[in-house]
Amino acid sequence: MTGFWRQAMAITRKDLRTEVRSGEVLFITVPFGAAALMLIPLAVGVDAPLLQKIGPGMYWSIVLLFGVLVTVRQSATDGPSQRDLLSLLGIDPAARFAGRAMASIALLFTFEAVLAPVALALYGTDPAGWWWLLAVVPLVAIGLGLLGTLASTIASSISSATLVPLIVVPLAVPMLLAATQITEGLRIDATILGWILLLVIMDLLLAVAGVISARPLQEATR
Amino acid sequence: MKRPHWLTIAAAGTLLTAMVTALMVPPERVQGDLARVLFVHVPSAWLAYLSFGVTLLGSAMYLIKQDLKWDRLAGASAEVGVFFTGLTLALGMIWGKPTWGVWWTWDARLVLTAVMFFVYLGYLALRRGIDDPVDRAKRSAWLGILGVVQIPLVHFSVLWWRTLHQPPTLLRPDGMQMDAPFRGALFMALFAFTMVYAALVRAHIANAKDEVRLAELIASEEVEVAGAAITAPTLGEVD
Repeated sequence: MTGFWRQAMAITRKDLRTEVRSGEVLFITVPFGAAALMLIPLAVGVDAPLLQKIGPGMYWSIVLLFGVLVTVRQSATDGPSQRDLLSLLGIDPAARFAGRAMASIALLFTFEAVLAPVALALYGTDPAGWWWLLAVVPLVAIGLGLLGTLASTIASSISSATLVPLIVVPLAVPMLLAATQITEGLRIDATILGWILLLVIMDLLLAVAGVISARPLQEATR
Repeated sequence: MKRPHWLTIAAAGTLLTAMVTALMVPPERVQGDLARVLFVHVPSAWLAYLSFGVTLLGSAMYLIKQDLKWDRLAGASAEVGVFFTGLTLALGMIWGKPTWGVWWTWDARLVLTAVMFFVYLGYLALRRGIDDPVDRAKRSAWLGILGVVQIPLVHFSVLWWRTLHQPPTLLRPDGMQMDAPFRGALFMALFAFTMVYAALVRAHIANAKDEVRLAELIASEEVEVAGAAITAPTLGEVD
């Protein structure tokens, strides 16, 4: 394993260990997301055919909105002193970005995986072509994790954490569109490859942008 | 009083001429006078694209040259762009109510334009949240580059999805589908709005420069602060 990946994996382990200790995602954000999925039928009316139809869209909306909470949690724990310490230890900023993004991706994937059966149970949606979702769920987690980490890095010199959701949510709209169109395409047996390609391209572009911008953004913080 | 810049006077003059021309064009056959909204709606949408394109240019050039003048251009252009995107949305709604029967419809062009509006509101919020000019320039430059993916999405949304919004009228492969007087007035409006954009960006950049100068003056303590004439009495004077 090269130095870059060893550093990135160390950062990932650190972030995941913090999560294991605090349980913020599993014991707070996941139940919060499940509660939100439950509130929607109460607001729109308990109409089974309607809920079956809107179920996938609601699931992806909750993943996007609550997924932002998962990605911003690292900006709350990673203060200036932690950032300075990592710089003094000689951690490559790009490896730091990769490590933080990988931790976010793992947590987002867990969040999506736990919430999916809840959505299926509450909305009674037919899980048509679920094997395709095995590809879509990680692609959305990767995209959202990268975008959230990049936005957190850009906004890291601002004390308020409320700016990150305003940056992430509008930029994540293509991901939401792709995810919902894929689920709908599987239901009506339409072609979905174009949407999967969009997710792959977005993930690649965000990964490149994150790695390229890591060093100049860290220098800006000093 | 400071004399207005020649660009401001030229922009005001061309805008007045464009608006008079727009009022002189005969009413459209189907939509009547309502179609005149397009003489402001279309140029506003064009300026939204232009502004965010210039923000991209300013952001990229800042990262290459590390010169704050490019950051000032990017920031000023984004501010003007957000205003004109808001105007595009508002005028689209005003036109949509009598034409489509609703103020808002879940059309790809409308939704993506609103999304673009929020992306650049986030960009402006980021700029407002950072005091240090160099830090602000570096961070907002990256967001200015990321945000530009919205422009092709908005423009081509009418071709990629089945939408209620009409396909492009001017930039279409089979040529423009518009009568000559209407086309002339629209091009006049496009030119006038571009002049207004240039004048507004120039004014924003001048304001940003003044703010920097003021901050430098305060830092060097060359300006008198209100209340500086009053000094606290010392114990010796009281005795």
